[in-house]
Amino acid sequence: MRIIEDELLKWRFKRGSREALARIYEKYVNALLSLAMGLLNDPHEAQDVVQDVFVSFAQGAESFTLTGNLRAYLARSVVNRVRDRRRRQRSQQRRVDVLATTAGGSTVIDRTLVYNERCERLSAALEQLPYEQREVVVLKVKHDMTLREIARIQGVSISTVHGRYRYGLDKLRALLNGDMDHE
Amino acid sequence: MVTWTMNDNEKLKSTIKKNLDVRASDETHDHMRSIVLDAHGRARETASANPLTLTRSILMKNPITKLAIATAVAVAVLIGIGVFTSSGSGVVWAEVAQRVQASRGVIFRLTEEIEPDPYSQRVDFSINHYSSTQARLDRYIGDEVANTMYNNCDTKTVILVDHVHKSYVQDTNAKGMPDSLGIADPNNMIERFLATEHRELGQRTIDGVLCEGIETTDTALYGTKNPPDSLTAQIWVSVETGYPVRCESEHVRDNGQKRLKWVTDQFQWDVDLDEQLFEPDVPADYIDISPDEW
Repeated sequence: MRIIEDELLKWRFKRGSREALARIYEKYVNALLSLAMGLLNDPHEAQDVVQDVFVSFAQGAESFTLTGNLRAYLARSVVNRVRDRRRRQRSQQRRVDVLATTAGGSTVIDRTLVYNERCERLSAALEQLPYEQREVVVLKVKHDMTLREIARIQGVSISTVHGRYRYGLDKLRALLNGDMDHE
Repeated sequence: MVTWTMNDNEKLKSTIKKNLDVRASDETHDHMRSIVLDAHGRARETASANPLTLTRSILMKNPITKLAIATAVAVAVLIGIGVFTSSGSGVVWAEVAQRVQASRGVIFRLTEEIEPDPYSQRVDFSINHYSSTQARLDRYIGDEVANTMYNNCDTKTVILVDHVHKSYVQDTNAKGMPDSLGIADPNNMIERFLATEHRELGQRTIDGVLCEGIETTDTALYGTKNPPDSLTAQIWVSVETGYPVRCESEHVRDNGQKRLKWVTDQFQWDVDLDEQLFEPDVPADYIDISPDEW
């Protein structure tokens, strides 16, 4: 359903439709924010990344190709931006410490992004995974990408991605043991 | 302490899906939206209109388009390309442009490759039918048509039928024909080629057809607004018929990080296309998922 609607959105966007761009933004901004948060564990960085992705997307209508999956395209754009930031941050060793946690399950609002404490803990646990594993887990589980697609993005074999996925889940499970939705 | 079981991975995945949920606050949402739309507006304002942006045979047939072709040919003459003379084989490139312009309808295949491939569910190729006022694009995954797009310039209607998900969307207020092929449009390509600096490739047999080709590495082929870093593009024209047989382009962007290659081939030029081809065929059990507003 989503894919076919996207086909027309892409078509209209490429022809310069502001409305199509607005709709693409409305449709995917929160999914991309969640993805970026899972990769960065930093709401402000996540917001910056997603904003940069959409601004770049908005400026590049003419060069935008019309085949393929829009959601995957945007997700990949987020991944690329996150990698760029990580490269820069490795030299700066910057870490923005932001939100104070509140009682379990309650909503955190810092006037920029909205998420609950469980999300915050999950994001913090994800951050403890090696980055490549984190990327695989988030893209696979949260963004429904196939291992083949992720292998393309990471430039490694599918078996390598599968290993990263398995190790990532194992470690995450250990980190979250008894702390999540285990009923 | 919780003991994890066989289903724990599923529970963990469910937890990730549910809990990794971040939303923009209303204020942030609107602020970002405003920034994105402003960026879009500025990009459109500053973009210079490309004088050679033509997309459809319907456009190729009107007087303005004819003027554009004449301009392209004139540019080619000025930069020393022999568009009015053959290079020994019989292909006169100015005549190719005119012949393409006069074609009643064209059928061709489009194949694309993108590296690294950012997409899922990529179609393998599309078979495209263009008449003077209508277009139909059948996109294939393997041997199956995954979706079909119908464009009607007269009724300003676009319908996309998704055979995989048995659904369709329609836009009944589309202005003009879609630029869905862009540079890969064979009509467009001939004209753009003639306006760039290119070199003759001589003759080659393609799909059993003796052809003469030209090649350009001029990034202006893609316009001046957002040219690629580099490119190589070729057109091969049948010596016998004077119609394009194969067009291909390969270019890189983003400092070499992105490579895009496309090929158009299997052309059938100047064909009378049955009007029924352009009648949207939407099975009764397909669901209309058109948004309330575009």
